[in-house]
Amino acid sequence: MDESPQTPAGIEGSALKGPFAVGAYAEMLREELRGRARLQLFGEIWTLRRSKARVYFELRDARGAVPCAMWTDKFEALGEVGSALSDGAQIVVAGGPDYYPGSKTSSPSFSFDVSDLRIAGEGDLLAQLAALRRQLQGEGLFEPQKLLARPQLPRTIGVITSETGKARDDILAGLERRGWAGKLVWGFAPVQDRQAASAITQALTDLAGTPQVETIIVARGGGSLADLFAFCDETLCRTVAMLRVPVIASVGHHTDQTLIDDVAAESCSTPTHAAEAAVPLDINGERAALRASTGALSRNAGVAVVGRARALAALARVPGTHIARQRRELHQDARELRAAGQRRLLLERERSATAAEVLRRKAVAGAGPDKLARLRTLEGLSIALSAHDPKGVLERGYAIVDDGDGNVITTAAQARAAEDLRLQFADDAVDAKITGSDD
Amino acid sequence: MTEPEQSYELATARLEEIIRRLDSGEAGLRETLDLVKEGRTLVEYCAGELEAVSQGLDEIKLDELIARLEAQSPEGE
Repeated sequence: MDESPQTPAGIEGSALKGPFAVGAYAEMLREELRGRARLQLFGEIWTLRRSKARVYFELRDARGAVPCAMWTDKFEALGEVGSALSDGAQIVVAGGPDYYPGSKTSSPSFSFDVSDLRIAGEGDLLAQLAALRRQLQGEGLFEPQKLLARPQLPRTIGVITSETGKARDDILAGLERRGWAGKLVWGFAPVQDRQAASAITQALTDLAGTPQVETIIVARGGGSLADLFAFCDETLCRTVAMLRVPVIASVGHHTDQTLIDDVAAESCSTPTHAAEAAVPLDINGERAALRASTGALSRNAGVAVVGRARALAALARVPGTHIARQRRELHQDARELRAAGQRRLLLERERSATAAEVLRRKAVAGAGPDKLARLRTLEGLSIALSAHDPKGVLERGYAIVDDGDGNVITTAAQARAAEDLRLQFADDAVDAKITGSDD
Repeated sequence: MTEPEQSYELATARLEEIIRRLDSGEAGLRETLDLVKEGRTLVEYCAGELEAVSQGLDEIKLDELIARLEAQSPEGE
């Protein structure tokens, strides 16, 4: 190591060499470090940060740590593995120690120059993803979105997808199938490059902050899990979990579920299904149902009014109907009674006639051959009776004498005693008085 | 006192409830007429909601919407 002409004196009494110029020493140190064996290290990655040219992080374990740096172009070449890196992830790095000597105007630094990197720990990306999934689930971040009220008929839907991807057309097809034609807010964002996660997070935040947006769809047509790692970004997933607007995700496979599928309100297998989930109702079906409801209301109103009016009219008719029926029954009874009376009369008349005929026949039979003799006897008796009739005697010149009170005077003595007499002739009576005596 | 927020799903649920009650035949005349009146109001509301999402697709980009909202927002707020 050369000594500079301006080299100051060393420390008095010191046994060490020098002093040497620090820049020369730094260069020597860098060369020495670079000369050390290149190897692989493993540990947890922490404090990942990016600059334009380099990506910096620390590799730590319980005993110590090493600052690491990686050229950005090499880091980008890792693809989505880089997106999956988060604090605490177990990784393996390949490289060797390096030293940046700095300058009069810049600070020196030591770092382990990483030329390659892979996720280690449980072995691969899926294991890393599983760890993050367990962590988010343990924090209860899978639940909040699922507890949000989902509008059945949103007027405005926000969609985050690639501007050029097929998902856009699929979403439009799904909405058309529902008959939905409301307001769509497109939040176009890259869905697979390195900036995807942060761009999607920003679009989600913006959409959720727009008052009209009632539901958000995040859609991507599919892809390998490595391609889908943007949707496993921890910040993105935490953002989704905290949004007050329901998010419907359609980004993954059936087999490789991304973390946004876990934290979203609903996860769908295709963008078409996501669109249908965002509008759960079939608009045309709802119109038909509404028409049916209108019909049911009108029918019930009609039944309530007309039906009851008819019932009332029927009730009003009941007394008249009852009386008319009673009257008809009475008339019928009367007719039956009259008919019965006439039948009995005829019967009795027939019976009487029969009895009279029987009697007549019996009388005739009873009279028989003695009738003539009896008539003759009767005639004789009649003549005899006439002979004794006082009226006949009086007509022959006799008179009946009584005392005026009806007591017949049959002797002269009775006549003298009575003094006043009445003489009854055939045509009239004459009063008489005894004026002398034969004595 | 604020009225509970109306929504299509709440309205249709209440409408179904009303029609079930009417179809049961257990409602008296006064209740029937009241329910029919309420039902018709709900039908009108639901028809309005359906109409609102049947006017034709209105697409807008998020950037444009944000710019429009910012333009509408009074300065200084």
